[in-house]
Amino acid sequence: MGATGTHLDQGQGQGRGRRAEVVLVYQSLLGIYGDRGNATVLARRLAWRGFDAVLTTVEPGEPLPDTGDVYLLGGGEDAAQVSAVTALRADGGLHRAVDRGAAVLAVCAGYQIVGRSFTVSDGPADTEIAGLGLLDVTTTRGPVRAVGEILSRWSGPGGEGRTGEDQWLTGFENHGGYTVLGPGATPLATIEVGTGNCGDGTEGAVAGSVIGTYPHGPLLARNPALADHVLELALGEPMAPLDRPEIAELRRQRLQAVRR
Amino acid sequence: MRLDPAALAKLLQGRRVSMVSGTNGKTTTTHFLAAAVRASLGGDDARLVHNADGANLHHGIASALSGQRGADIAVLETDERVVADLVRLGRPEVLVLLNFSRDQLDRHHEIKGLGRSWRDALARAGEDGPVVVANADEPLIVWAAETAKRVVWVDTASTWTQDASLCPNCGSPLVREQPDHTGAPGGNWHCSACALRQPEADYRVVEGRIVDRDGRAWEPDLQVPGGFNVGNAACALAAADLLGIDAATALAGMRTVTAPAGRFATMQVGGTTARLLLAKNPAGWAEALPLAQSATVVLAIDSAAADGRDVSWLWDVEYEQLAGRTVVATGPRAQDLAVRLAYAGVEFRTEPDLARALAGHPEPVDVVATYTPFQRLRKMGGV
Repeated sequence: MGATGTHLDQGQGQGRGRRAEVVLVYQSLLGIYGDRGNATVLARRLAWRGFDAVLTTVEPGEPLPDTGDVYLLGGGEDAAQVSAVTALRADGGLHRAVDRGAAVLAVCAGYQIVGRSFTVSDGPADTEIAGLGLLDVTTTRGPVRAVGEILSRWSGPGGEGRTGEDQWLTGFENHGGYTVLGPGATPLATIEVGTGNCGDGTEGAVAGSVIGTYPHGPLLARNPALADHVLELALGEPMAPLDRPEIAELRRQRLQAVRR
Repeated sequence: MRLDPAALAKLLQGRRVSMVSGTNGKTTTTHFLAAAVRASLGGDDARLVHNADGANLHHGIASALSGQRGADIAVLETDERVVADLVRLGRPEVLVLLNFSRDQLDRHHEIKGLGRSWRDALARAGEDGPVVVANADEPLIVWAAETAKRVVWVDTASTWTQDASLCPNCGSPLVREQPDHTGAPGGNWHCSACALRQPEADYRVVEGRIVDRDGRAWEPDLQVPGGFNVGNAACALAAADLLGIDAATALAGMRTVTAPAGRFATMQVGGTTARLLLAKNPAGWAEALPLAQSATVVLAIDSAAADGRDVSWLWDVEYEQLAGRTVVATGPRAQDLAVRLAYAGVEFRTEPDLARALAGHPEPVDVVATYTPFQRLRKMGGV
């Protein structure tokens, strides 16, 4: 059985009907924090701009399509995380996607999976599991679980030079693993409120077109500038602005709530 | 705050105890079972104690029990986290386990941990433990109930499968077979590696009717809406049978249940007729949202501790089904819902204040609310 793709109703604008495919990877395993929302957001923002947006969901056992422009991974429990990394390694499609320049956004457990290694709890002991090695990061169990609203300044690739509201990334983090970056990865952001990678003041990691990060919410629903940055990485062209007052108002409220 | 276990044990002593737990439907199912028991008592209602208001933690249960010391039959809605304690302290005769799905993940990080606590408690109780009535559609429930001395399995024709991808026993992928005779979209399930599989059911929900192990079919004719409530009624019917109540009497009682702790209640507020629906998590929304059929629908979202502080679950609910209707987004997290609705292509207006969101609708409206606004709405409407 192959993955299923859905075409969204198309708007008018810069896309002029060109096809752009968003691939939601293993939602049944990596989707406990509303992570499918990132796919909904990207596909809808493409459609609003007149692209022929295709949202493809792929589950373990189905091959990852080689036609995707963006690949999305979300959060999951330990057993699901191990199951997902095993299936992704066997498939190989994510590495091929990165090699041809597609964008990858990996959140929470997905972030850990695309790194070098992570640990899962196995009774009293932790077991180290090899990751996909798409990001030079290593995750081990942290001293306390990081749970709560998170705010960071988008200081890494894509965020430099941004001023005003767009420089802030807002979300909700919920992770027991702490992630340390190696020399091959650059932090995505600098923590203002919350824990982020491991309490060292950094949040997320970037290498080329691969972005790993902890906050969900889901992330792209609360950070439209980051959503458009991911699309620009994937499609290699600037995204036309979209005027969505309800999103601006949500950002205003969440920034106010977390700074209180 | 934790109650002295000895005090709770003493309050439970000398009563025939039945318990109901699960993520969704426990208040309604407990009301069904209590109504079945009441119907069998021939008017001697004082013999029954039931925590009808849904206060289902140690203190709520103790409070209900101490208010009716003379009652020799207890039907107790029990929070998932209290099940293991009550099995140990209360020696229940019957334990109904409905379902398990993601809920308040900011507090419960892994739902499997709760399932394990049930499984261990039942194993420890051994022959002194309860007979379990368990939903055969739910892999985690089946795994948790396996250690009980006896299980009555109910095929509730559940449609929610999104929280059960991996085997709770061995972690391998679960396989869902083609939809079976029950018409359940999920079909039967089995593990791809170990022996865990959907057990043969003693009671089944088939096309809205409840079929028992002898093949007798019962029309539920309930006053509360929704196919999921037929599944809940099937569990209550199985529990009533274990208590020695015949099906006709039990169903007659269950048919008197109209608005358990405000669920499905119709109320008047601000000149508007509103029907209240509670939805606390994606599985609950998948049940409640299709019931909301009014032209204008009010959706109330909060993120207080009792709702879960993280509202990312909004993106696991198919609000797309509301396209073409008028939606009013309300509650402290109305703006999060507004963004979700915008991306779903649903027309909406935002009115964070509950009273104003409810006021002035000329036609009756259905209101779907998370826990905290649901309780506020009950107060406003006196239901």
